[in-house]
Amino acid sequence: MALYSEAGLPASYVALPFADWKARPQWPAVSLANTDPVEDLAPHLGRLRLIILEFPKFSDGRAYSQARLLRGRMGYRGELRATGGVLQDQVAFMLRCGFDSFESEQPGFGDALARARTLFSVVYQPAEDDQVPAAHRRLQQSNAAAS
Amino acid sequence: MPDTHFYRYDDYDRTLVAERVEQFRDQVRRRLAGELTEEQFKPLRLHNGLYLQLHAYMLRIAIPYGTLSSRQLRKLADISRKFDRGYGHFTTRQNLQLNWIRLEDAPDALAALAEVDMHAMQTSGNCIRNVTADHYAGAAIDEIEDPRIWAEIVRQWSTLHPEFTFLPRKFKIAITGSPNDRAAVRVHDIGLRLWRNPQGEVGFEVIVGGGLGRTPMIGKTLREFLPRDELLAYLEATLRVYNRYGRRDNLYKARIKILVHEVGVEKMREEVEAEYAATRDGALRLPVGTIEAIARQFAPPDLPPRPAISGPVEAQRSSDPDFALWLKSNVAPHRVPGYAIVTASLKPAGSPPGDASATQMEGIADIAEAYSQAELRVSHEQNLILPHVAVEDLPRVYRSLAALGFAEANVGKITDIIACPGLDYCALANARSIPVAQRISTHFASLARQHDIGDLKIKISGCINACGHHHVGHIGILGVDRNGVELYQISLGGDVDFGRTALGTILGPAVTADKVVETVDAIVATYLDAREDGERFVDTYRRIGAQPFKEQVYGPL
Amino acid sequence: MAKNLSGDLQVASANRLVDGMVVWLDEAGQWTDRLQHAAVARDPRGAEILLERARAEAFTVVDPFLVAVIEDEEGTIEPLSLREKIRASGLTFEAIAADAVRYA
Repeated sequence: MALYSEAGLPASYVALPFADWKARPQWPAVSLANTDPVEDLAPHLGRLRLIILEFPKFSDGRAYSQARLLRGRMGYRGELRATGGVLQDQVAFMLRCGFDSFESEQPGFGDALARARTLFSVVYQPAEDDQVPAAHRRLQQSNAAAS
Repeated sequence: MPDTHFYRYDDYDRTLVAERVEQFRDQVRRRLAGELTEEQFKPLRLHNGLYLQLHAYMLRIAIPYGTLSSRQLRKLADISRKFDRGYGHFTTRQNLQLNWIRLEDAPDALAALAEVDMHAMQTSGNCIRNVTADHYAGAAIDEIEDPRIWAEIVRQWSTLHPEFTFLPRKFKIAITGSPNDRAAVRVHDIGLRLWRNPQGEVGFEVIVGGGLGRTPMIGKTLREFLPRDELLAYLEATLRVYNRYGRRDNLYKARIKILVHEVGVEKMREEVEAEYAATRDGALRLPVGTIEAIARQFAPPDLPPRPAISGPVEAQRSSDPDFALWLKSNVAPHRVPGYAIVTASLKPAGSPPGDASATQMEGIADIAEAYSQAELRVSHEQNLILPHVAVEDLPRVYRSLAALGFAEANVGKITDIIACPGLDYCALANARSIPVAQRISTHFASLARQHDIGDLKIKISGCINACGHHHVGHIGILGVDRNGVELYQISLGGDVDFGRTALGTILGPAVTADKVVETVDAIVATYLDAREDGERFVDTYRRIGAQPFKEQVYGPL
Repeated sequence: MAKNLSGDLQVASANRLVDGMVVWLDEAGQWTDRLQHAAVARDPRGAEILLERARAEAFTVVDPFLVAVIEDEEGTIEPLSLREKIRASGLTFEAIAADAVRYA
C-alpha cells in the first residue's frame, strides 16, 4: 500500500484503532471505522496529528461525511488520511471533503492525485477545500459590475 | 443560445459540463484499455447515465425539472439518429432514454448534449438524481410559486457533491409549487411542497421517506414549514444523516424510507434538526441575490393578450367530435386568460407508451417554437407538454400534433398508460410491460368509450422496482415471473393526484398475459355498473371496495 | 423435439464491452453475435469448463454467464428462458422508428 501524503507525516507513524485510542486519548494518531462516531474525537482534536478514515469499499461513502465533519464543524487541522478503497476516480471528491493524505494500491494513483485538483475548475457547492462555489463567484461578479 | 424562460447556462455551468465530459472520456478510454475493472468503472458510467441493459447500453439523459427548449429537443432528435436507432423514451422521472448507445460513442454523445447545455450526470447510481417538478410549472393556474427555481438551486447543489456521491442508494427529490401535487412528492425520498403560511410567508413542507419499489411507502412530514433560503442547509443535513446511518448491508433496505421506518420519523427529525442546527447559518444559506438571479430566469414569458374565447375554436368544438374530446382531455387552463396548457399524448393506441421517433421530436419542437414560446415539458406520465399555447392557436396545434400522431384525446384516460420499458429492454425485469400496454390501449381505443369511462390511470411495471409506478395506479399492473411464465398481478385504488397519495391493493391471484385485457374489461364493467353521478373509477372503488371487482374478475367466491 | 429437459445444455453469453451488444462464446473462444455459432456444453462439467473459458476471454465483454438452451433435431439452438430469447432475438414488438432493427 503506497502512501501519498501532502502533510508529511512518515508512513510509520502509528495510529491506534478507535477502541484502543479511547483508552489512551492522549495518543496523537487514531484510525476510525466508518461507523465510529467522529464526534467523540472533539475534546482531543488539538492534540491529534493524524486521523485515518476508512473506505471499506470505494462505493461506501460514509467516510466523506466523517471527513467533512472533522475538517469543517470540528475544525481539525492535522493530517486526514483516507485508506481502504481509495481510487483515483474518487480522489477529487476526497480532496474536497478535506482529506490530504491517501493510502492506495492503485497503479497511477500518484499522477492522478497531482491532476485531481485541476480536474474541475468549477464547483457548485461549498465543501472543505478552498474552491469557491459558482453561486458565490456569480454574486461577486455582479456586485463588482454594479459598483 | 437563444433566450429561454427557464435557467440559462452561463460559462460556469458550461465549463463544469465540459470538464465532466473530458473526465468521462478518459475513464472510458481507460476502461477499454483494461486499466479499470468493470467493478471500478460501473459507478463511473452510472454517474454519467449509462446503464447496461439486455441488448445494449442505455443512456438516460437528464431533463432538469422536465423542461427543455425546442432547440434542445431538436438536438436530442439528432443525437438519437447519430448515436442510437432514431427514437427515445420519455420516463417517469422526466428524463429521456436512448436504448442502443455504444460505450465507445458515449463521450461523443455527451459532448453533443453539452452543445445545447444538456448532460446525463447523476441520472443513475447511488447519488442524488434528477430533481423533478410539476410539469405545469410556471403556467398552472393554481401555482403558489414556480418550483423549478428551487429545482435548479437543488440541481446545482447536488451536482458532483463530493460528500453525497456514494450514498447507500439512489436519492430522488421532487418539488411541487401547487397544492395540486402533479409531481408525486409523497412517493419520493424527499418531497418538497411550497405553501404559504398564515403569516403570508412562502416556505417548504419537507416530506421524507416516500418511495415505491419492493416496500412502497408514503412519505412523512419531516418539517412542516422551512423558510426557502434555508433549503440547502436542511437538505444537506438530511443527506448527511442518510449517508451516515442509511443501511448498507442489504441493497433492498438501503433507501432512506427504510431508515425512517426503522428509527421512526421523530428520531429522524431529531437527528436532522440537530445536524441542521449546526449547518443552517453556514455557507449554504442562500443569499437573496442568488435566489433572485435564478428566479429571474424563470420569469414567465410576456404573453401578449389574446381572447379567452375563440370563435373558430368553438366552431370546431361543435363540428369535430374528436377535437371536442381533445379540448376536454388534453387541454388545461393557463394562469393567463387567453392561453392554455396542451398535453401532447405520446400514447397513441397500440404504440409503446412514451416513445417518440427523431422525426416526431423534431416535429413537436417546431410546434413548440411556433406556438409555445419554444418551450416544452416532460410529464412524469410520459407525455410532452406545450405550456403556453394561445387558445386561438389550438386548432392549428391540434392539426400539427395530429400529423405527428400525438393528438389522441386520451390524456388521463384508460389508454394514457404509464409503462416501464420492461423485459423487452431491461435487465432487471421479470416480465414484459410494453406489449401489455399495447394490447390494452388497442382494446380501449374508441375515444367516445374512453371519455365515458373517464379518468382512469393504468400503470404497468415489469418488476418490483416499480419504474412504472404501478403502486399508485388506479389500476396497477405488476409483471412477475412464475416458473418461466409471465404473470400479471393487478392492484386497484392507487393514487397520486390532487394532493392524494394512496397505494393500491392487490385484487387477487396474478393472471396470464392473454387474460390481462379481459381482466381490465371486467374491472371497467364493474365500475360502470356501480358508479354514481360524476364518480371517477377510483372514487367508485373507494366507495364500494374491492369485493365487487374481485367477483367480476375471478367469479363469485 | 426439443432436448434439454434437465437443463444440461448451456452456452456462454455476455454483453460486448465496447457497444453492449449481446454475444456468445463460439468453439474457437471468440465472441460471436450469432447464437447459432455458440459453443454448446452438454453436461455440467462441460458447462463449468465453458464458463471458465468465457471468463478467460472476458477482456472484451462484461460479466459472462451461462444460458440454458434447447437444441432441436436440426441443431437449432434456442434459449429456454424468455429473457434470453429476448436477448437473442430482440424486441417483441414494433419499435416506434422504422430503423429500429429487430435482429435475428
